[in-house]
Amino acid sequence: MSTASEPIAGTSAPLAPQPPVAKAGRNWLSIGTFGVFAIILIVLPQVLNAFWTGRVTGWIPIAIAALGLNLLTGYNGQISVGHGALYGLGAYATALVINEWAWSFPLAIVFSAIVCFGAGVLIGLPALRIKGLYLALVTLAVATLFPQVLEQFSDTTGGSTGLGVTSPELYRGRIRDRSIKFEAPEWTGLASDQWRYYFFLVVAAICFLLVRNIVNSRAGRSIIAIRDNETAAEVSGVNVARAKVFTFGLSSALAGVGGSLLALYLARVSSGSFTLTTSLYFLVAVVIGGAQSIAGPAIGAVFIGVFNDVITPDLPEAWKPASPLILGALLIILMLVAPGGVAGLIRQFTGRMRTRKLVNSAINNPSSGGTT
Amino acid sequence: MTSTRKLRLGAVAAALALLMTACGRDDETADSSSSDNETAETVAPGDTTDTGGDEEAAPAAFITPEDDCDAYDATKGIEGGTIKIGTVRPESGPYSIYDNVTKGLDAYVKAVNADGGVKAGDGTTYQLELVKADDAYDPARTPGEVQRLVEQEGIFAMVGQIGTSNNLAVRQYMNDACVPSIGLATGSTEWGNANEFPWFIGGLPSYATELHAYLEYLKTEMPAAKIALLYQDDDFGKAYQATLKKDIEGTDMELVDEQSFNPLTETSPESKVAQLSGSGADVFIVGIGGAPCPAALRAMPGTWTPATYVSITCSGKTAMSLAVGKDEGLYSVQATLDPGTPADQQNPKIQDFFTRGAAQGLTESDLQGGITAAGWGFGSLFVRALELTPVVDRATIMNTLYSMDGENYGLMLDEAQSTTDGDTDPWVLEDLRVVRRTAGSWEEVKPLISYDGQSNDFAG
Repeated sequence: MSTASEPIAGTSAPLAPQPPVAKAGRNWLSIGTFGVFAIILIVLPQVLNAFWTGRVTGWIPIAIAALGLNLLTGYNGQISVGHGALYGLGAYATALVINEWAWSFPLAIVFSAIVCFGAGVLIGLPALRIKGLYLALVTLAVATLFPQVLEQFSDTTGGSTGLGVTSPELYRGRIRDRSIKFEAPEWTGLASDQWRYYFFLVVAAICFLLVRNIVNSRAGRSIIAIRDNETAAEVSGVNVARAKVFTFGLSSALAGVGGSLLALYLARVSSGSFTLTTSLYFLVAVVIGGAQSIAGPAIGAVFIGVFNDVITPDLPEAWKPASPLILGALLIILMLVAPGGVAGLIRQFTGRMRTRKLVNSAINNPSSGGTT
Repeated sequence: MTSTRKLRLGAVAAALALLMTACGRDDETADSSSSDNETAETVAPGDTTDTGGDEEAAPAAFITPEDDCDAYDATKGIEGGTIKIGTVRPESGPYSIYDNVTKGLDAYVKAVNADGGVKAGDGTTYQLELVKADDAYDPARTPGEVQRLVEQEGIFAMVGQIGTSNNLAVRQYMNDACVPSIGLATGSTEWGNANEFPWFIGGLPSYATELHAYLEYLKTEMPAAKIALLYQDDDFGKAYQATLKKDIEGTDMELVDEQSFNPLTETSPESKVAQLSGSGADVFIVGIGGAPCPAALRAMPGTWTPATYVSITCSGKTAMSLAVGKDEGLYSVQATLDPGTPADQQNPKIQDFFTRGAAQGLTESDLQGGITAAGWGFGSLFVRALELTPVVDRATIMNTLYSMDGENYGLMLDEAQSTTDGDTDPWVLEDLRVVRRTAGSWEEVKPLISYDGQSNDFAG
């Protein structure tokens, strides 16, 4: 055996080749980060008051929709500025099934996801032939058309006045349509705002896990391969059409889940909430957080949430109307400093740490570093 | 990697779009100063001068917090002789023109404080503090802003909150929290439902009552009217449509053609007006607001000269000037004095509004525009309720508002009265007169009629 002369350096553990060692280190780092964030997310509603728990809960729908957009744009390279419409579609689907048939919340979310998956596939079909900026234009049309479609069917959708998400209840001796409410089961001992937060958090966790697993699977590699070079992917045996349409559908389904949560969160949907600006916010969340990263959209959603709910209200009165302008300027600066978004920055930083560690271990342990 | 480049491109595009939104809003703001009054959901009530009504009478208990509320904090927001009130309006975004309502409310609060405060029914004199929030007219943002005001700022009540769907977005929340929302800056027929949502009380006449008043006039003047209706495709326009259909039932009047106009998707009502002009109608009801309303008037062909009606929201000074000569002979209704009409400007209430408003920094176009006067009116409704209430707490002040008897507050027409009852009649402005535009000002053609207690019946 050629390695027989090396046991002194390896001592107890059989000497592994270099990459697995790096991977182990990275795993520890990411598991640690993940754990810290998980604990923060779980403890949050215990620390915050009802108001702030409510605010943070409101960021979750955006995070999920941005996650969907990221799958499409970041991983698959297809640009969409129409996700605001799919977000809205999900919201209206949920509102309708709850109002009409009193469906349970989880069922309504699944229903919205299915409806939006279907809509996404339909939009995805022309996307097979249309690429880049032209695709962006097609989705732009979807975004601008959506509020008009809602107006067109205003008997069902409530038009610009909107639609309450309600269930009947007895009040002052009459039956009234009451906005839906999250009631925590007795045994949890949670307040309704906390219960709603955890409900949203679980839905978000499922979505993020789903995307993570897909991206790391064979399907995910196909999706990424298409982004990097469509022809090469096709030559390598990837069914490009199927993968692209599937990605569009899944991405839309996630936007639909986000919209569904928004409807549950606000207990009201109206056409004014699903304009082109909504779509742009998702794009902004993806870019700020960092495309091509699982946590990126969540980071982006938190950034937007903090900007809208924490920073903007504290701006001097004269500055307040300029808040979209400030956000735009921040975005430009961020793009100059960190084109990979916040997640890109973190990756860059940890990457540098890892390289340094590698270099150090190579210096301290030349015999193992030199091979491979 | 090309995708990174694409993304960066996308990001720059998004940033540009955001910048454009901001710039677009600047244009709107500039526009708002020039078109101060032709916008939906804003009409003018006004300031308080008359102090009629007996302060001592305890109001009937329409709301009993012990039964109706889970968590009730009677006097939250009152501290050290100051009552904190809140309002949410679009300060940014394409509808920031409505910010002028809040401008009027703000000026009113400052004027009250400058005069030493409000002497409430409990004998104490209070100063007022107004906390403003911005929802950019997006109903999805309203709940967050209202919750901030209620839970973080700890306001006593909301006053003059703008927008039908924005108010609907928080109606349940406010009712659950048992926090009053007084003088809503919208005339949606939804606010007639005080039995289900008792903590909300409107500040404008119901859209249905408004049109009904004109149709009553029409019944005597043109009993066989052939009516053409142009209506906005929302809550406001649909209230018009429903009221019209209900009112002409069983009469000789006829709806010969109707066209809906969608302000979100259509830029100009011209083609709709052209279509209606071919219907042979001799009455034209313009149930749209904002800038499209004067645009519809301008679009009327010279050969078509029906009796034309515009809503309260389209009868202000600037809207009329935007109609460029087509305003002569228009019909409308009024519940309050019009600060843009020379005859009304002689009224002591308007003079008081001009002096005190100007002292708080309102410009001449603010003062005469109409929108700002509406905000002044919402403030005076709240102050009147304070003056009348025997105890300053949340439930009593609502009960006071639901048991007003012949009140005249703000810029209300001299003979107009506010009489309310939570169960059947939660509307504060129900006395209306029909006016006709003659030589640049509004002239009464049918004296004030009280529709007290009937607003809910007119809604279709």
